[in-house]
Amino acid sequence: MNLAIEVTEENIKSIVSLSGEIDAYTAPQLKEALLPLTKADGQIVEVDLENVNYMDSTGLGIFISALKSSKENNSHLKLINLQDRVYRLFKITGLIEIIDIKAAIRGGSE
Amino acid sequence: MDTVNLDAANYKDLLKRYIDTQDEQSLYGAEQISKLFIKNNVPPEEIINLHIQALSELYPNLSEKTGHSMNFLLETMISYGMAHQEYQTLREKQLELKTEIAVAAGMQETLLATTKPSIDGLDIGVISVPAHQMNGDYHHFIKGRDGSLGVAIADVIGKGVPAALCMSMIKYSMDSLPEESMSPKAILENLNRVVFRNVDPSMFITMFYAQFIPSEQKLRYSSAGHEPGFYYRKKEDTFEEIEAKGLVLGVSSDANYERYEQRVEKGDMVILLTDGVTECRDGDRFIESEEVLEVIKGYAHLPAQDIVDHVYKHFERLQNFQLRDDFTLIILRREV
Amino acid sequence: MGLQSCVNINKEWDIVGARQMGRDIAREIGFGTVDQARIATAISELARNIYLYAETGQICFEVIDNINQKGISMIAIDSGPGIRDISQVMEDGFSTSGGLGAGLPGVKRLMDDFDIKSEEGKGTEIRALKWVR
Repeated sequence: MNLAIEVTEENIKSIVSLSGEIDAYTAPQLKEALLPLTKADGQIVEVDLENVNYMDSTGLGIFISALKSSKENNSHLKLINLQDRVYRLFKITGLIEIIDIKAAIRGGSE
Repeated sequence: MDTVNLDAANYKDLLKRYIDTQDEQSLYGAEQISKLFIKNNVPPEEIINLHIQALSELYPNLSEKTGHSMNFLLETMISYGMAHQEYQTLREKQLELKTEIAVAAGMQETLLATTKPSIDGLDIGVISVPAHQMNGDYHHFIKGRDGSLGVAIADVIGKGVPAALCMSMIKYSMDSLPEESMSPKAILENLNRVVFRNVDPSMFITMFYAQFIPSEQKLRYSSAGHEPGFYYRKKEDTFEEIEAKGLVLGVSSDANYERYEQRVEKGDMVILLTDGVTECRDGDRFIESEEVLEVIKGYAHLPAQDIVDHVYKHFERLQNFQLRDDFTLIILRREV
Repeated sequence: MGLQSCVNINKEWDIVGARQMGRDIAREIGFGTVDQARIATAISELARNIYLYAETGQICFEVIDNINQKGISMIAIDSGPGIRDISQVMEDGFSTSGGLGAGLPGVKRLMDDFDIKSEEGKGTEIRALKWVR
């Protein structure tokens, strides 16, 4: 399974739309696309996960390094439209408490 | 040199025979020679050279143009021969690496070994199987002086060698803690600082730490973002998720962990696992945690060790005997 | 020691010239068809490296004639950017054409003796030698 990454820029906001699966094979691609965006001061990096139905812990690792990088560089990381299965991962690992996350409207648990 | 000459003569004879008769037997002979070439690492340009020699001996009056064309063919094979030799070296290197990893995996097993203690009135079952050679899951048991039992179950992100290295670090940090006299909360807070300081930003570890105190028949626990386990109530014959909030280890330097407590009745079970269990896939479908519980229920009449062994076998078969992730399952059951 | 003959490498076409000179020398001193082809391939690799990374350089040939054996020695010299990590370049599968058996490890396997000296920013000198069997 593959991961398609699409980045659109709107002033100080970068929207990263993902579709596919995030696992050990696709995570390096995501890291390469996402990390540089978080390095710009004041940038809002919004990751749309509506079309991601599977993510494993490698994917979580990428979002954790993106979060750390955004804190160091004074940018803001935001995850939106998470599907149930993916949202559950962030919930179990306690990451919903420290990352700005919005679940998908349909079927989102919060 | 003898064998090479023999091969050359053999090749010539076979070629002659084939040109005369075009029979299948000579072609079978060609197949045998072909295997011999591979076995002796004969590069393709040498084979073509052998052919040129044989031809010129069999048909000395062959046209000059045919000779040139054969030399041209030989030239085109040189790079192919080089690629083949590179492939050979890489294959040897791969074997070497495999052996090294096997040795490392053996060392890891010794390093991370833990023995299942015997605690009066508590039946314990445990199984931990790596998906690849090295295990990124970790568990250990520790028996306190007061007869209590400490259980840690942990999962490091990723698989293979990096995960295993990380786990060895955790094991040693835990060894340096006075675990028997610490609460699960304090242990996790301590480990969190170690992981935060020492690992890559994209690396993290989840851990569930529990203590069973027989004198009070109580389970005390805290969780660092670990896959939730289950609590089985014998009286009601029901399972419930063990809810415990807490951030994974290594993300924030000042993470706090909550303490939880649960009274354990006779026949009740505590089920601890890693996501290798709940993330089993049946083809493209993920299994639901209810399925894991159904399987456990089916074997609930057996001793705890037999339960975990059977559950593992069930999911191993479901996944065609190819684990996608490390698999660890621990069951504690109060007997009397 | 025989006389040195050299070919300047400035353009891709010069690779062919270097191959031609090397093959002629190899044939003259008694190398068989297969070895001639291997020597030409090694020359190609060395010359292409010069052309791609250093832009200009030289490939020189020398006939080695000892009492008991004959051989061809070639030296590729350039004053290009040099190689920072020689061990890495000599690793199989590292070169960008990886998996095609080419690159310096390939040259080393084709020849009997191989030596490389390089200094970053100054240039590279590669010596390779093959004996007539």
